[in-house]
Amino acid sequence: MKTTIQISTILLLVFLTEISSQTIIPSWFKKLPDAPTGAMYAVGYCGKYQNENSAKKKAVDVALNTLAKQKSIHLKFYIEEINDGRMSLMNPIFQLIYEKDIFDEIRDNYSVVDSSITTDGYFVLIASPKTKKNVTSDDVNWGLPPDWVQNTPKSEKWRYGIGIAAKYSNWTKAWRDTDEYARFDLGKNTSINTESIIVIRKTDRTGSHSKIMRQDYDMYFKDSIIVERYYDAKTNSYYSLCRAPQ
Amino acid sequence: MKKVIILALLVPFMFMMVGCGGAKPPTKMSNVPEWYLNPPSAEDAYYEAGDAAKQSMGLAKEAADARARDAISRTLEVKVSNMLKNFMQESGIGAEAEALEFTSSVSKQVANTVLAGCKIVKREMKQEGNIYHAYSLAEYNLNSLVQQTLNEARKQKALYNEAKANLSFEDLEKEVQKLEAVGK
Repeated sequence: MKTTIQISTILLLVFLTEISSQTIIPSWFKKLPDAPTGAMYAVGYCGKYQNENSAKKKAVDVALNTLAKQKSIHLKFYIEEINDGRMSLMNPIFQLIYEKDIFDEIRDNYSVVDSSITTDGYFVLIASPKTKKNVTSDDVNWGLPPDWVQNTPKSEKWRYGIGIAAKYSNWTKAWRDTDEYARFDLGKNTSINTESIIVIRKTDRTGSHSKIMRQDYDMYFKDSIIVERYYDAKTNSYYSLCRAPQ
Repeated sequence: MKKVIILALLVPFMFMMVGCGGAKPPTKMSNVPEWYLNPPSAEDAYYEAGDAAKQSMGLAKEAADARARDAISRTLEVKVSNMLKNFMQESGIGAEAEALEFTSSVSKQVANTVLAGCKIVKREMKQEGNIYHAYSLAEYNLNSLVQQTLNEARKQKALYNEAKANLSFEDLEKEVQKLEAVGK
């Protein structure tokens, strides 16, 4: 009986930690600093673990995967909308492929430049190739929404994409999805095939408006980095800003 | 006693009425972004807005973005085909005659374009009860369009040169074959 209560308490604690809204985060999770020349930074994160080593392992694993995606990624996107005036069907498909060779290469040559434990979980910042430079960070809160949430930044040097997600019960999954959506948004802003057919039928008595729309792309990206994040606690919504060279 | 019974019946009914009325928050038109109603205009760029109301914030954003981009592609190129059918009939004699007229029209618009560098420059998300209403503004810079046309022209030129080179090689082969035939 005692064991059951203990297990239940642990499970409840894990659940509460997972759903708790993020209030304090390391500054480099909110805004990624510029990496030294020739190196690349990536963040990793995970919910609370009883064993700190397990948490670190998980967070580093997330960071390694993120770094592999940043270096080179193959994105396939397809969206279809069928609308006949009475009902609307929408079917988006997101496919993301990254190479194992790149992942292995990063795993063999990386260093942890900073890490942080907050009330929500464990955060880690890694660099690849290995660097001796350490990053010092402050724990910060999210503050006011940045301008890029509503206005996509304009630059001669960079291309940007914004990812949005809301109402997730698990904050780690929410960030994972928001980051991926930002990468896909970058692709859409780069080049996209569009195709649509609109048919309007009118008679003396009736009128109908039907539409079929398709959009797709299949592209490779190098150096696509999640440079900023924002969390809106009021609406429980997550925002990520992805950047790649022009 | 009678009053108490009437009151007891009325109170739950009033609560029901209040509950029904409160479920749908009124939509304010002032919430709609200005750039959605009046998209900006520029000499060197096209702007089109799109919106979508969905239960999922992510899906609302995807739909609004896709609709804004679709509007841009329609601005660039659209093939329209129309069909109008008119049917008229009169039956009966003199003033008793009944006229029947029936019109049917079908309009079909087809757009198919590759948009290179078409960006969503502004975005707003409004919450209307359980629904997320996303508004997106797409911008297509004409420089991107010029660049795309140039790339296409370069591609065509490369294909032409390749075809020309292949043709010359084939011609050369034919000449060699002819020479070989003479030798025999």
